[in-house]
Amino acid sequence: MSAPETAADFRQRVEELKALYPDSRSAVMGALHLAQKRHDGWLPPEALEEVAEAMELTPAFVQSVASFYDMYHLEPVGRHSIEVCTNLSCALVGAQAVVDAFEQELGVGPGETTEDGAITFRLVECAGGCGYAPVVIVDQRYREPARPDDVPGLVEEIRGR
Amino acid sequence: MAAELTVLNGARERDLTKLDEYRTIGGYGQLERARGMAPEAVIETITNAKLRGRGGAGFAMGRKMSLVPPPDKRRSPAYVVANADESEPGAFKDREIMRTAPHRFVEGCLIAAHGIQSRNVFIYIRGEYLTEYEVLSRAVEEARAAGIFDDCDVVVHRGAGAYICGEESALLDSLEGKRGQPRPRPPFPPVTGLYGGPTLVNNVQTIASVPAIFELGVEEYTRIGPESAPGTVVYSLSGNVNKPGNYELPLGTTLRELIFEHGHGVAEGRALKAIIPGGSSVPVFTPNQLDVPLDFDSVQAAGSFLGSAAIIVVDDRACMVQLGLRAEKFYMHESCGKCTPCREGTRWLVQLLERIETGDGSQRDLDLLRDVCDRILGKSLCALGDFAVYCVASYVDKFYDEFKRHVEEGGCPYGGESSLDGVVAPSDQHTHSPVASPVPA
Amino acid sequence: MSTPELVTITVDEVEVQVPKGLGLVESAAMAGVEIPVFCYEPRIGPPIGACRMCLVEVEGQGKLQAGCTLTAQDGMVVRTAQTSEKAADGQESTLEFILVNHPLDCPVCDKGGECPLQDLTFRYGPGNTRMTFPKRTFDKPIPISPLIALDRERCILCYRCTRFSGEVSEDGQLIARNRGAQSVIATFEDEPYRGRFTGNVIELCPVGALTSTPYRFEARPWEIQNVPSVCGMCPVGCNISATTREGKVKRVLSRNHPEVDGGWLCDKGRFAYGHLQAADRLVDPLRRAAPRYEELSWDEALEEAERLIRTAGSRIVTALSGSETVELAYALGKLLRQGLGAHSAVLPEPVGHSFDAFRAPLSAIRSAQLVVVLGDEPVAERAPIVELWIKAARREGAEIVHASSGTPELETRLREAERAVLIVSGDDGGLATTAGLDRDGCAAFRLPKTANGRGVADAWAAAADEEPENPEPIGLLIVSGDEAAADPNVRAMAEQAETVIAIGMFRRLVAPWADLILPGTSYLERDGTYVNLEGRLQRIRRASIPPAPDELAVLSRLAARFEVEISPYPSQVFDEVSAICYGGVPYGEVGEQAGLPPRVPASQVRGSDPGTGPEATAEGPGLRLVTYRPLFSGPAVERIPELQFQRPGPEVELARDDAQRLGIASGQTVYVRSNGTSLELRARLSRELAPGVVRIPDEHAAGLEGRVEVSG
Ligand SMILES: Cc1cc2nc3c(=O)[nH]c(=O)nc-3n(C[C@H](O)[C@H](O)[C@H](O)COP(=O)(O)O)c2cc1C
Ligand code: SF4
Ligand code: FES
Repeated sequence: MSAPETAADFRQRVEELKALYPDSRSAVMGALHLAQKRHDGWLPPEALEEVAEAMELTPAFVQSVASFYDMYHLEPVGRHSIEVCTNLSCALVGAQAVVDAFEQELGVGPGETTEDGAITFRLVECAGGCGYAPVVIVDQRYREPARPDDVPGLVEEIRGR
Repeated sequence: MAAELTVLNGARERDLTKLDEYRTIGGYGQLERARGMAPEAVIETITNAKLRGRGGAGFAMGRKMSLVPPPDKRRSPAYVVANADESEPGAFKDREIMRTAPHRFVEGCLIAAHGIQSRNVFIYIRGEYLTEYEVLSRAVEEARAAGIFDDCDVVVHRGAGAYICGEESALLDSLEGKRGQPRPRPPFPPVTGLYGGPTLVNNVQTIASVPAIFELGVEEYTRIGPESAPGTVVYSLSGNVNKPGNYELPLGTTLRELIFEHGHGVAEGRALKAIIPGGSSVPVFTPNQLDVPLDFDSVQAAGSFLGSAAIIVVDDRACMVQLGLRAEKFYMHESCGKCTPCREGTRWLVQLLERIETGDGSQRDLDLLRDVCDRILGKSLCALGDFAVYCVASYVDKFYDEFKRHVEEGGCPYGGESSLDGVVAPSDQHTHSPVASPVPA
Repeated sequence: MSTPELVTITVDEVEVQVPKGLGLVESAAMAGVEIPVFCYEPRIGPPIGACRMCLVEVEGQGKLQAGCTLTAQDGMVVRTAQTSEKAADGQESTLEFILVNHPLDCPVCDKGGECPLQDLTFRYGPGNTRMTFPKRTFDKPIPISPLIALDRERCILCYRCTRFSGEVSEDGQLIARNRGAQSVIATFEDEPYRGRFTGNVIELCPVGALTSTPYRFEARPWEIQNVPSVCGMCPVGCNISATTREGKVKRVLSRNHPEVDGGWLCDKGRFAYGHLQAADRLVDPLRRAAPRYEELSWDEALEEAERLIRTAGSRIVTALSGSETVELAYALGKLLRQGLGAHSAVLPEPVGHSFDAFRAPLSAIRSAQLVVVLGDEPVAERAPIVELWIKAARREGAEIVHASSGTPELETRLREAERAVLIVSGDDGGLATTAGLDRDGCAAFRLPKTANGRGVADAWAAAADEEPENPEPIGLLIVSGDEAAADPNVRAMAEQAETVIAIGMFRRLVAPWADLILPGTSYLERDGTYVNLEGRLQRIRRASIPPAPDELAVLSRLAARFEVEISPYPSQVFDEVSAICYGGVPYGEVGEQAGLPPRVPASQVRGSDPGTGPEATAEGPGLRLVTYRPLFSGPAVERIPELQFQRPGPEVELARDDAQRLGIASGQTVYVRSNGTSLELRARLSRELAPGVVRIPDEHAAGLEGRVEVSG
């Protein structure tokens, strides 16, 4: 899924999404995913307004939907994201050590973005990789299992992107 | 076909994400066969195969299909909705099915659509499964291009991170473009579901089991596993076990066989302390229950639920209070906020567990913890409220001494050596839209 | 319609027969049993089962059930907290959870004393609290608009307010943000909650989370009185309760008339009461003594009025507002027409009776299959609640058609639909008759411009039936009421008239040009009757004592000087009018919840309809301009600071197709031109507008006329 570059592009893509459903409102989640791509990984108020306009909904409604789901970000994020699952299966096999390693390596805590704006570090609930725990997700791609030893390499790789 | 594998059959040997490969093992042949049958006969076949839902509740799929009113009694079109929101902690089976055998899943969807005479299939896949979304979308495109859909269409819809959207009615609201919050039921989805039309909601694995029923025939299929619920299930084995992973086995495999034969035993030779048999939301088992067969009825008879057949192995390093706290933070984080007991109760449970865990709790807090569990149980709008207390209440009941020691000794008896010590949860990090701290310190 | 099947259910051991499918809450009430609720409110849509206050035990079901989501089925056996320990525990649990994070700041809460949460906690709740943790805290109170304050700590997340915004008024502005325990009620990016019906959420909120800013800290429930009356701000005539304290109106609430308003009010009706205290409110009679005015005593004023009237003789013209009561209009008519032979009047609007043949309660709109809205003026600006009925119809599956004028095709569709409703602002071109809307289930409504235009016309006509001969020049112009005083046509007449008497509430409206000014009163200060757009006669009641005697009392004294007998009591005046045009209904029978008179067969309809069609604008290039008086405008609204944000901005509404053709996007600044005038306005795209038409609030259309050019 590539990011729609222009506003017209975006509208076109949203129209295509709307056509997939008997009720076009169903396309709001897809439209939010697209808008987030277009706006550096998060949804500033203008993005919500853009979605509202394309979806013929109110910005308030769009915001209410967006704020319900964890994957829509309503505050600025870094260019890349690192997410660590700390739910039961991952926690039982050492997820916290991986979290600690990232904190060390990145110099920021969970929920924070590195000062250079490169990486947002986040914890997530069960990612569905429990059999390959601990699970780390880099820019929406799973790295599993990830051990504390893997962390410096991972960060270096991301910084190189 | 090896009798043990029906869902993942061939998926580990071949690249079944490709239509051609899937066709070489007979792929979409069952769809053709089903389409040659009257829709009622399709439902009857699934009913006779006694296929029970693999998404958690174990409801008979054939019966659910027969609840969908026939076309002449419908006021709006009927829909098939595949629940691919898999978010139950411990479960990762639907992910593997979609990533390695997407066409079998799609074939199942189309057979189900023929059965209930629907022309629209929606697959609601959790947002985090991006790779699986891409694989599945490609498979859908390929099948569409090959003309397999006929007059039916399949749309893959991406979620965006909300456990509650696995609950079928919340899923429908989410799919309709709203906040994913559960609806009161009745009416149930087969009568009033997506866009108000009759809707069949089934789990990925349930649907992916359908082609095998037609391939093997009811008689042979029902020979797999126990009589009450035949067939295979993909057990997701995780936690402190040597060989975690997905194991497709006949229903009714015992915990002992799963953990010690397939999973090669508890990791690092530790002692087994507890087993969660159906994903984090079900009551916990203790090692003396290792011989319980993992099928719907047996697990329930033993006081828990098979749920999504996600088995989490817990060894003797884990503090049960910490396990409870971590689990409860998940439910607090995922509570949708619609009904009172779940929204307020989960938060209160987290507060109580935190206090007990840090050693500041008193016997009163421990009693209250157990009582708040009872107050939530059975009163919420959907089962999430129940899930949020099945786990914690069972930890308290079965490991009461451990909870009591926290209170009496003013801290964790593991003294910082628990495998879960200091584990933080997403609800502890800065939230993306901070209006209030979920739990003030 | 067939009578619904009856089923027998048992609630707390009481057996009752109720219609099958009736809500369990209502069914239990029929058995005399209360099922307590918070989120349940059938007027805002299907039950959502969120708050869990209504948990009951149903025989055969293991788990407690949310009573609000159930309907009566034959043989159902239900136990509430009264007879079931399990249900009692369920309700106590719910309340405990609700109170876990509730601030319990009842002593300083405006809802205190009339709060469902207080009441239900008292009856069903735990006696103590087991919560020993810090409660959730939020910034508070947050003004979600100049009219409404939100206290998130008190909110119990019943979602009544958001459901109202999303599913009743359909403005989609008040929403829930976030998930789970962090969920809060909010607007988009802290923008004000703007809309015609926002205040209803205050009444819907079962706790003190949404409160009225103008009412904040104004009164405690035990100090107030609620006066049942009817709103006088538009022709719908919503039923209201005016809350008064020490003789002053402090708040206006809905007094649900299910056929008229369904329990909703618009923000104008709810919040405009502040005009009673306007800074330029007239208290004493004034006489022009250029360049100033001098205050007169009432005796002097009556003396002066008599003098002006006698001087003008019959060369008097009366300009009426349409906000007069039936009684006041009749009294004016009686004095001027019977007493002085001055028959000339400027009625607030032309009124016809032909639609009496298609009369039905407004609530009939909701059950229609087809609703045709004829005329280009926005319904919501003239008769806001009608818009809500139309929206309800659409939600129930009705088709809504907007058209500028009737066509043969529309006529056919109206004739063929089983339940068709026609709503007209302007001329219907005979459509209602030819489409046979006197069928059962069908109806036609004409939307007057003024609150009691119909009643005023009836009463003026009842006073005499001689033909007016329009005096030239006008000896005396009597301007009755502020709307007439604000009317540019009336102002123009005043310029021509030799003398002017104005009766009004606000000095700034009449001060520069009237010779004699008599203080007037508001509908909240009068007794009498109004006729709403359905033709329903309704009682309005004095809620607040006016600062000056009301008009009827003054007229009664003035009339005595001309030996015309007019009672100062509305009841007696009404009986006179009623004998002439309302079939002799006695005043006392108009009642607190007035019924609708029966339909009048078309053959017996009084008088003929005036031509009220939109002035045909010659065909030509450009778009046809429609201007309208916005709901949030007029003398009362102008005097309420908190309502100013609701006034429409300088906007032009365009049909989507036209906008596309002209390459205009929503929100863009455009130029609108007609013969020499050019205005800069913000474009807003509308689905309801017919192509070829543009719509502008009259206060932003100064100088524009006829056909206009629009460009980006
Ligand atoms: C809180 C909650 C979460 C759920 N999550 C899932 C899920 O992720 N996947 C799933 O298939 N079913 C989930 N379910 C169960 C569904 O509601 C539903 O029973 C199921 O999709 C039906 O499919 P099946 O009959 O094939 O099992 C969940 C239920 C609850 C109450
Ligand atoms: S503000 Fe009032 S009406 Fe709205 S959700 Fe909260 S308690 Fe309910
Ligand atoms: S009144 Fe029934 S759940 Fe709220």
